[in-house]
Amino acid sequence: MAAISVEKLCKRYPGAAVPAVDEVSFTVADREFMVLLGPSGCGKSTVLRMIAGLEPITSGTVSIDGRIVNQTPAKSRDIAMVFQSYALYPHMTVYDNLAFGLRRRDVGRAEIARRVRAAAGKLGLTEFLERKPHALSGGQRQRVALGRAIVRDPRVFLFDEPLSNLDAALRVTTRNELIRQQQEIGTTSIYVTHDQVEAMTMGHRICIMNRGRVVQIGKPLDVYRQPADTFVARFLGNPPMNLLPATLEVDDARAVARLAGVAVALPLGASSSLAPRAGREILLGIRPEDLYEAPPPGTRESFAPLPARVVAVEPLGAETLLMLSPEGSADELIARVGRETALRSGDRIELALDTRAVHLFDAATTRAIR
Amino acid sequence: MGATARPGFERVRRIPLVLFAALYTVLAGGPLLWVASMSLRTTAEIFKDPYGFPWPAHWEKFADAWFKSNYHAYFWNSAVVVVSAVALVTVVGAMAAHCLARYGFRGSRLVRFLILSGLILPPQLVILALFQILLDIGLYNTLTGLVVVYVATHIAITVYILEGFFAQIPQDLFDAARMDGYSDFEIFWRVTVPIGAPAIFTAVTLNFIVLWNEFLFAVVLLTDDDKRTLPLGIMHFTGSHQLDVGMAATGLMIAIVPIVVLYALFSETMIKGMTAGAVR
Repeated sequence: MAAISVEKLCKRYPGAAVPAVDEVSFTVADREFMVLLGPSGCGKSTVLRMIAGLEPITSGTVSIDGRIVNQTPAKSRDIAMVFQSYALYPHMTVYDNLAFGLRRRDVGRAEIARRVRAAAGKLGLTEFLERKPHALSGGQRQRVALGRAIVRDPRVFLFDEPLSNLDAALRVTTRNELIRQQQEIGTTSIYVTHDQVEAMTMGHRICIMNRGRVVQIGKPLDVYRQPADTFVARFLGNPPMNLLPATLEVDDARAVARLAGVAVALPLGASSSLAPRAGREILLGIRPEDLYEAPPPGTRESFAPLPARVVAVEPLGAETLLMLSPEGSADELIARVGRETALRSGDRIELALDTRAVHLFDAATTRAIR
Repeated sequence: MGATARPGFERVRRIPLVLFAALYTVLAGGPLLWVASMSLRTTAEIFKDPYGFPWPAHWEKFADAWFKSNYHAYFWNSAVVVVSAVALVTVVGAMAAHCLARYGFRGSRLVRFLILSGLILPPQLVILALFQILLDIGLYNTLTGLVVVYVATHIAITVYILEGFFAQIPQDLFDAARMDGYSDFEIFWRVTVPIGAPAIFTAVTLNFIVLWNEFLFAVVLLTDDDKRTLPLGIMHFTGSHQLDVGMAATGLMIAIVPIVVLYALFSETMIKGMTAGAVR
């Protein structure tokens, strides 16, 4: 097992105006499952490939167990990688695909057979060992790709969006399988994905990237509850967090965010930290699940009324999404309410906004105001 | 009534296509059938009735051509030259195609241009220069010299066919092999060659057919009768004022039959390999 440290990692392609990876730094503790999350093109796969040794590093360092491995070839880093496309050799059987990496490392035939059969047994592939990849389903191929990494018994696993080619149902079962395998084997792992559900459910910590830079690192729920900026706030959560332009009003007694003609009282004690920003434009963030048709019993004082007009209603079965527009404003927001709602498009409603769940962001820098 | 008229209408629509295909088959296959017929008739019979049926069929003409007219030597020379050239051009061309498809090295665009520019040069343009070069290095009038020329002139088409196919092999396969510890050559041998086998087979078959029938370079670069290849064998039957038509036809059939058999067996595989790069 191994700890990984990435320090100010940069990747700049020739002729590119901006770097693909811009001073990315993070650490992955021994046996930790770190998820790199971000939209397509944010540089997360490039970071993974630089850690693997498949991509030259422009500047910065990658260390494994304290040893810088920038100049160490990929084959010598003791890293196994599961690729998005599985990278199975079409001309080889499942057995040969699993054994391919071991044969190059002078492992004896008996040992190869033992490891291959053990991995196949663990992943339910024993009956498929003599098949070729084209005769396997997507889920089976994904397990072969995972098995090929497992048989190597490496210090580090790298996963490059391994579930993105699977259908939704298979993705759920395979995700759970991966979690189980990682818990069982306990190898240090870095997992790249653009899927927030995978990030929230699989990682010990997530590292969110955008435009080549690290935006926030933390435990999934911590990042969800305290996003560092508007990008993280909207990237995590489905539907995304609502961001409404507001003006901050602060006096000795209280702090208020004024939006669409409504004053939203902010939690007690916030006035002292917000005083320097009084009068400034801010963005008030509120998640759809923190908007209610009516405050729950006994909590009225924690809720602020927000008059709005229903623009559209999306019944999803287990819940209903309301598209709304605050009165006197062109902004739009989404509320997640119960499945029994009687609201229809065009109705006027006084939404109950949970002030305890409000997030404030600087309108200019988009950074969270704490 | 509409349902029964439709199949009939479809049949009528196909008539021009069928007629065209039939006409093309006659124009393309007719001369071959005629040569095959003449190969079994004597020259006198041919002059008496050029399009007559070969009856009686003179099968002994093939034995005469093979043993008495030195065709066994021409066949052996063709086999040695073509097999050697095809083997060499496939190995070298596949390696070059792999490098161009997989590695972005400095100057790769120039290298690709220089190699593929061989496709646009007609052989007539380079024949004189080749003649002089082979003379200077002592390979003129040798089978080795002809092999070298064939390899040089067919590298372009080989690289052209293979590079497109190799470039479609997913990069992840090569990255996975690199992480498993395989060297560049091992990756070429263990990954590119097996996966690229259909395209390699296509290149081999195409080069074999073209080189087996190659005449211009052979007639200029070989002078000794015992070094001639099969396409030159027909010159054995040409005098200063006349052509032994019957034996020439027999010689042509000896030259053609291996290629026809090869193409009949592998044409489908060859077409698949050639079009593999065209459709994603």
